[in-house]
Amino acid sequence: MVDAQLVLQLLVSGIVIGSRYALVAVSFGIIYSTTRIFHLAHAGTYTMAAYAAIVVATMWGAPLWLGVIAGLVVATLVGALIEIGIYQPMRARSATKLAMFLASLGLSIVISSAMQIIFGPQNLSLQRVPNNTYFLGNITITSLNIAEIVVGWLAIGLLLLFLRRTQYGRAINAVRTNPEVAMAVGVSVNRIYLLVMMIGSFLVGIASLLFLMGNVAYPTMGLTPILIGFIAVFLGGTDNVPGAALGGFVLGLATSLSGIWLPGDFASVVVFGILFIVLIFRPQGLLGRAAV
Amino acid sequence: MLNDYTADIAILILIYIALGASLNLLMGYAGQFSMAQAVFYGIGAYATGLLAVNLGWSPAFAIIGAVVVSFVSAGILALPAAKRVSGEYLILLTLAFQVVVNQLMNSMRGLTGGPYGFTVPWLTIGGKDFISPVDYLPIMVGGCLLVLLITWGLGESPFGRVLKGIREDERAVGSLGKNTTVAKLLVFGIASGMAGFIGGLAAYYYQFIAPGTYSLDLSIFVVSIIVLGGIGNLTGTIIGAIILGGLRPFLQNVDFIGDENSYPWQAIIYGLALILLMMFRPEGLLPEGVGISSLWKRRGGAGSARVIPPPAAAAPGGSPLATAPAATPVAARPDEIVRVEDIAKSFGGIYAVNGVNLALRENQITALIGPNGAGKTTIFNLITGTLTPDRGHVYLRGKEITGKPPDEVARMGMARSFQDTRLFRRLTVLQNVAMAVPHQPGENVVSLAVRPIYSRKMEEETRARAMGYLELVGMQDKANEPVANLGYGEQKVVAIARLLATESEVLLLDEPTSGIDPAVLDDMITLVLRLKALGRTICVVEHSLHVVERLADHVVFMEEGTVTAEGTIAELTGQQRLVEVYFGT
Repeated sequence: MVDAQLVLQLLVSGIVIGSRYALVAVSFGIIYSTTRIFHLAHAGTYTMAAYAAIVVATMWGAPLWLGVIAGLVVATLVGALIEIGIYQPMRARSATKLAMFLASLGLSIVISSAMQIIFGPQNLSLQRVPNNTYFLGNITITSLNIAEIVVGWLAIGLLLLFLRRTQYGRAINAVRTNPEVAMAVGVSVNRIYLLVMMIGSFLVGIASLLFLMGNVAYPTMGLTPILIGFIAVFLGGTDNVPGAALGGFVLGLATSLSGIWLPGDFASVVVFGILFIVLIFRPQGLLGRAAV
Repeated sequence: MLNDYTADIAILILIYIALGASLNLLMGYAGQFSMAQAVFYGIGAYATGLLAVNLGWSPAFAIIGAVVVSFVSAGILALPAAKRVSGEYLILLTLAFQVVVNQLMNSMRGLTGGPYGFTVPWLTIGGKDFISPVDYLPIMVGGCLLVLLITWGLGESPFGRVLKGIREDERAVGSLGKNTTVAKLLVFGIASGMAGFIGGLAAYYYQFIAPGTYSLDLSIFVVSIIVLGGIGNLTGTIIGAIILGGLRPFLQNVDFIGDENSYPWQAIIYGLALILLMMFRPEGLLPEGVGISSLWKRRGGAGSARVIPPPAAAAPGGSPLATAPAATPVAARPDEIVRVEDIAKSFGGIYAVNGVNLALRENQITALIGPNGAGKTTIFNLITGTLTPDRGHVYLRGKEITGKPPDEVARMGMARSFQDTRLFRRLTVLQNVAMAVPHQPGENVVSLAVRPIYSRKMEEETRARAMGYLELVGMQDKANEPVANLGYGEQKVVAIARLLATESEVLLLDEPTSGIDPAVLDDMITLVLRLKALGRTICVVEHSLHVVERLADHVVFMEEGTVTAEGTIAELTGQQRLVEVYFGT
């Protein structure tokens, strides 16, 4: 018999994990849907945000909020530097999408290796993160969990609002739909790409810091969340932000609920299984339109 | 010089060469991509170890088992991607597979020993033990040579030609009657099977298997080797493996780095190499088709030099056309070769084709004319299976072919050309035409392995046939030129030769004269009339009424997705309304 309380507890943690993945997915989705680059170095951005916060708040002993700001600033800067230093010159040389992916791949391994050399392979953590545990009957949820859910969806909501209501947001949407036409009507496509890289990197910084408050940092910490973010984007349909959020949420919920039947180590198999089945039967994604 | 230390490094580099070569078959020839090469290497190692330890299989059988396991798992993995053209799916799928299987190696403690792995007995053959690196080196040399031989042999075979075609233009390969899905699955399976094979050999050498070896880092490393050497260049892969494989032994001996940090330093170097190469020299050290000597030559045109294969032997036994099925006598065939009944297709609620009936009569030229957007090319797409109709039926010689995929339709005897030729630009004219020749044993991997000499002989015949078609269209002098070097008019002619080489009895020509020089227009018209004289049944989409007048036996006039008139060209041009619709007023 399935234990009802276990199911409820897994549901709660599924919502937490799902919110985390939703934010990561949206942060990658906005970049991928606009630039069409398979931006694997996003994992490096995620990692560097966490290490920046640890350096400031743990190693230098500064207050936590300064660490958070440092992490977000570093993430945004890393995204901007990748765009200006690598992607933009490659685009100018009309590099193929595969070439840009390979450069991104190279960068992701450079970042994780550099972190290992500088900080060592061991786990590092933020200290002094306030946290309370609440009991709802026998089900537990922490204040950090609640913060993760609230901040994650708030960030996604604000992004959607930004895309729909502001001039820059509409310019991003124009570039996403058709870069040539956008260029023809006077949108500076390169500036939009830079903006999008900064927004996506900022968002993944938020996701990274929320994760770090309850967990630890290590050099390859970015790989799994970013990979799940990728999968979520392809599940949700590669050209819509709500789809990416939904994809991430579904994946988080599924990995957590799979704990009813499977040991926790096998959660990633569930993610892969979902990807495999969706790609076979619904290649355009769950919310995507069928390609002609 | 050859001691256990150097032999150990040599073995590692041989492993990298083999992993790189097998992945290059996938990336360089077929234009596919895999981020999972390390995990297939690992699957081979685990399968070998588990079969040897748990089931007591002998080394040879354990390794064969490992090859089968990695081949089959790769085939299944590639299933969803093989049906689609988009490369991103393959990246995502293989990346996810790499990470998940690597985690499983960690998690399935009962089977794999978890993060600490398990040990494998050393290799013993006929009472002799192979334990030390020096003793094991010849075995790894043999294994690596075998992988290189298979990769090179497949790459240069007719199967390799199909792979290159898939890389250039997958839909065009399908239109020539080749099943690209099977070819893609096979090449994925073979590349991964070879990685599994090397994994088995490595398991016996290291006598220890643990998940850390088969991580994403190794997959990225193998990709870096190929990219450094040059995608599609096997010599380049060997050089890349030596350079990057020699990094760590070098770094270990650098004072301030030391043994522990040599891994991340190695990763930083090949990661940086990947970034810089992609930014400044995406073709790698040795571009495709360039030999090693170009590295020493001063600016010998590294980008442009190409190895052009020697011309094919002359056709044995007369014209290849004599054996083409459509050239058989015309008698005893029903008149209607192709019959289209009430076919329709809508895009987003708007009908591109709506209720068209059409018949192509034997050995006649039927012309489809009408204003732009009338649905002429859509008709071609519908009857060759590129698009599936919403309703209606297509029959070829009385057999229903509605909804069959393009490659199957082509094999049944109906092939089409494309308005923009869709030739394989980086392949030679002869390779383009040879790709279309049906029934090539060399395209079958099993036949290549079991009957290599026969396959090679048949390949000569294929080339001779292709040469025959080139002579027929007058392009034999350009046989060994890459298509990209040809003028547009010449490309159009080569496209006709390629279409003819499919030996289909029904040929659909999509605007054969569009975009060509008026001076060679007559040649093209003569050529199409010659196809008719060879007994082919032809349908042509054509804009120029002068061309239609000279070619067509029967003309079908289309407007807004429906047929509004048909007859001879004289009958149609006699109707004032049609002329107005056609030319606009």
